[in-house]
Amino acid sequence: MGERDDYTTTKHWLRMESRAAQNACRPVFLAGLANTALAIGQAFCAAQALSRAIFHIYNISFIGGFAVLAAMRTLLGIIAERASFKAGVVARRRLRSDSLARLLSAGPSLLRARHSGELAMIVVDRVEALEGYYARYIPAAFLAGAGPLLVFLAAAFTDPAAALMLGAAGLLVPFGMALAGIGAATASGRQFIAMARLQSRFLDRVRGIATIVLNGRAEDEARALAAAADELRRRAMRVLRVAFLSSAALDCALAGAIVVIAIRYAAVLAPTELGQAGLARAFFVLLLVPEFFAPLRAFSAAYQDRLHATGAAAELASLPPLPVPPPTLPVRTVTANGVSVAFENVRLIWDPSRGPALDGLSFRVPAGETLILVGPSGAGKSTVFEILLGFVRPDSGRVTINGADIADLVPQALSRLTAWIGQRPMLFAGSIRENIRFARPEASDAEVEEAAQNAKVSAFASDLPNGLDTVIGEGGYGLSGGQAQRVAIARAFLKNAPLLLLDEPTAHLDPVTESDVLQSLQRLALGRTAILASHSAAAHAFPGRRLDIRNGQAVPARGVA
Amino acid sequence: MRPLLRILALWRGRALWLLFGLLVSLAAVGAGVSLMVLAGLSLAGWLGGLIALRVLGPGRVVLRYFERLTTHAATFRALTDLRVWFFRGLARSAAGGLGFSRAGDVLTRLVADVDTLDGLYLRIIVPLAGALLLLPALVVLIASRFVALGLGLGALFAGGAFLLPWLAGAGAAAQGEAVTAASSRVRIAALDALTGLREVRSFGAEGRMLARVQACEAGLFAAQRGMAARTALAGAGSFLCAQLAIIAVLFAAGADPLFGIAGLLLTVACFEAAATLPRAGALTAHTSAAARRVIEAAEQPAPVPDPPRPVPLSAGFTLRFEAVHFRWGRDRPQLFDALTLYIPEASRVALLGRSGSGKSTLAALALKLASPDSGRVTLGGTDLSELPASGVRARIGWLAQATHLFDDTIRNNLLLARPDADEAALWAALDAARIGEMVRALPEGLESWVGESGTRFSGGQGRRLALARALLSPASILILDEPCAGLDAETERAFLLTLNEVAAGRTIILISHRLTGVERLDRIWRLSGGRAVAAAG
Repeated sequence: MGERDDYTTTKHWLRMESRAAQNACRPVFLAGLANTALAIGQAFCAAQALSRAIFHIYNISFIGGFAVLAAMRTLLGIIAERASFKAGVVARRRLRSDSLARLLSAGPSLLRARHSGELAMIVVDRVEALEGYYARYIPAAFLAGAGPLLVFLAAAFTDPAAALMLGAAGLLVPFGMALAGIGAATASGRQFIAMARLQSRFLDRVRGIATIVLNGRAEDEARALAAAADELRRRAMRVLRVAFLSSAALDCALAGAIVVIAIRYAAVLAPTELGQAGLARAFFVLLLVPEFFAPLRAFSAAYQDRLHATGAAAELASLPPLPVPPPTLPVRTVTANGVSVAFENVRLIWDPSRGPALDGLSFRVPAGETLILVGPSGAGKSTVFEILLGFVRPDSGRVTINGADIADLVPQALSRLTAWIGQRPMLFAGSIRENIRFARPEASDAEVEEAAQNAKVSAFASDLPNGLDTVIGEGGYGLSGGQAQRVAIARAFLKNAPLLLLDEPTAHLDPVTESDVLQSLQRLALGRTAILASHSAAAHAFPGRRLDIRNGQAVPARGVA
Repeated sequence: MRPLLRILALWRGRALWLLFGLLVSLAAVGAGVSLMVLAGLSLAGWLGGLIALRVLGPGRVVLRYFERLTTHAATFRALTDLRVWFFRGLARSAAGGLGFSRAGDVLTRLVADVDTLDGLYLRIIVPLAGALLLLPALVVLIASRFVALGLGLGALFAGGAFLLPWLAGAGAAAQGEAVTAASSRVRIAALDALTGLREVRSFGAEGRMLARVQACEAGLFAAQRGMAARTALAGAGSFLCAQLAIIAVLFAAGADPLFGIAGLLLTVACFEAAATLPRAGALTAHTSAAARRVIEAAEQPAPVPDPPRPVPLSAGFTLRFEAVHFRWGRDRPQLFDALTLYIPEASRVALLGRSGSGKSTLAALALKLASPDSGRVTLGGTDLSELPASGVRARIGWLAQATHLFDDTIRNNLLLARPDADEAALWAALDAARIGEMVRALPEGLESWVGESGTRFSGGQGRRLALARALLSPASILILDEPCAGLDAETERAFLLTLNEVAAGRTIILISHRLTGVERLDRIWRLSGGRAVAAAG
């Protein structure tokens, strides 16, 4: 994908988004417009009061009018703030749910190409960074046209020549801003990519901080971090140098307008020759100048938000779309007679430079039977599981479950069928009980405890201060590797699915625990279809047919265990 | 307030940049206000004002541009320093891993909270300094003609620019905490869902994970709403102060119209320059909460503090545990009960035991990730408590069960253990770990990308890469915690045979559940009941 393409999709995305957000932004816009109208009224009152003072005409009503308008503007300000916050909330809620749903539906294959920290950054920071776009930029963009126009009309009724000067200064602003904005937008996109990389790098280093410190490399990493952050600073300044030019263009126009109009009234006409009405007009126009530029300044301030949005939009627009749910095909006889699995000449290539992970693999597991996959690490055993879990699709060949092509099954149907114990079980921050219950949220406490018993979780949990309710940290901190593995096994017990996928279920277990767990797994496998991959000699006592895999192909069996 | 002062103290090194930015900003504020006053004066007929206007107008534009540039540049520099300081602090305290504070939470502190701190200078200190400059200017200029009006305007200005924001900030302290905590919860929930994509998919938990993130997000919005409401109120109050000031000047204009005009423009300019301060109040609360979290995470005490006067390491590397008692926490079971163990130099020892019997804890004690409750651990005859942790860790290499593979190339992952290793050493380590052949077959060889936590390789391959890294380390003692987990029996035997040859002159401590019979060992210990018992080979 070229940079140009990215730019177009991003622009398109932003355009669609501002259309979608119009409803939520309308109150903010209307409040802003009303505010400008009131400000014009205030300028009028102040001009009248001042000019009368010069001619020693004492009249309190204009000051009173000014005060009333001031009170109204104060209220309007509060209303506008509320509405703008709400517009931001509505948009963020929608975008965050949408982006996370898209990532979740795209599934685990995403993790091969992108770091989970990077993905989380999209869902959290990118969406958060869009707040200003909806809460401030979109309303300000509308107002930047309508507000100055309103002021211009008020000025034109009073003094057309001065109004023209104001209008001319106003027209210079969008010109200068656009000039600066184009440069800044492309630079900003690059900066966001750099920031995402830096953040993933931080997350990776933070996760592995123990490895870094124990190897005595903390200082080197800190220096590398400083260099990366410095690079980010240089990039950011490059964006800002251009972006600030647009603010400067605005300052220029404002200063220019004030100087020109002040000169017009001061040099051409002495106050006394104007008369009270003429003087009031002069004051009025002069006081309108800041009001004319106020919406433009708000817009310029919000332009930063638009730059942030451009970076975020590029990411959000590139997320995988939500799949259209395929017509659901009923899976034949799933619960009644169990599940049969077949691989027919399956090929899968993870990375073309490394050759196929599976190279024409075929096997069949009839319902209720167990298949034991044997082979050196890297032979393709885990890939078999990833296909059956629906994480990846084979490049060619067919995988069927009860005769139905796995490609036709919706992910939900597949996940209902399978219970999986992987090599690196992910435990979530929370209690052991919550982690087991993850498999089946509606399970009763008794069922969770039974699963914990079967997986020998109870054996170690009883020594912990709060038993199953002991809170463990992210990544299973507080549990040994073998203990975390047993929590994953308990999940499989609790899930009670007809197809068991066991990928090295007893790695990290000591022989006694291993044989206990294998016995429980054998009980669990009774009447279910199971596929087990294991290096452990004990696991080979598991009753079932053996299949040797080497280099992604089945090797003719040497014997049946 | 204290966390903010602490952050400012950390920025001492950038004081020149920060001060320079501040000065440019003050000059810009001064120019802006003078421009308005001169415009008023020239309206009142002072021709000198017109000439000054022509100079000041462009001058102000240029000053504003440089103000923005210098203040931002100063902020970025200060933030870079802060990030690096934070990482160093984390490295001091987290040698044993992150534990219960989650990686996501730490990341929030490192990135988001540190970013929030940019507001401290840009949106709090700089406008505050501007307002402090304007207040006396406003009072003196107005009071030169109308004393009471000058004082009144001063009071209104102080109210709008200082008092109201301060009140908003003081009231929002709790909300500031709530916002930072809530945003951290959103991040943790999102990271849980995305790091666990495999588990989420295989358990069909997409809906639940989404709901969890949405619930955390609702909490964030609620906290932000409270903050926004306070900011809106403070803003409205400040606006009202400005309007009252204008009304007062309009009344005064009756007495001296020409002065009134100039005074009006001056008043408007001053209040407008201070218009961002109401936001600064609530922002202070938020920033201060962020600062507290950043400092708290960076200044966690080291698990085992270094002695004030560390003893230099001796050349010997005999490792000895003498009557060690240990438990991880008061409510945790006693792991070691007078454990005594002697591991002579260049010996090969196996430590066996059931999972949870304290095998990994033994390594943690040797690496100074924990210290014994009683008894002592000595290295080369010196008590570990007298040695610097960095020295001990340079002497002892550890292949932990949870050793992290970085999202980087194979080469860089290996070099972590020994930055100066040459090509031959890298390949020797890979071959010893029985993974050299696989790496050679990769088209990019050592430059192949490993992926997040090694996802681009199978579990057993990743484990062997970590093993190669451990073997590469120049440490005299190698503690290998289940080096063969996830390896097939054939590879395991081959590796153990290589191990018999490669590690000449080094101590090898093999932590395992069981032995295969090919290991050449001097001693076999079994951990059980909190003690080490010699086991028959």
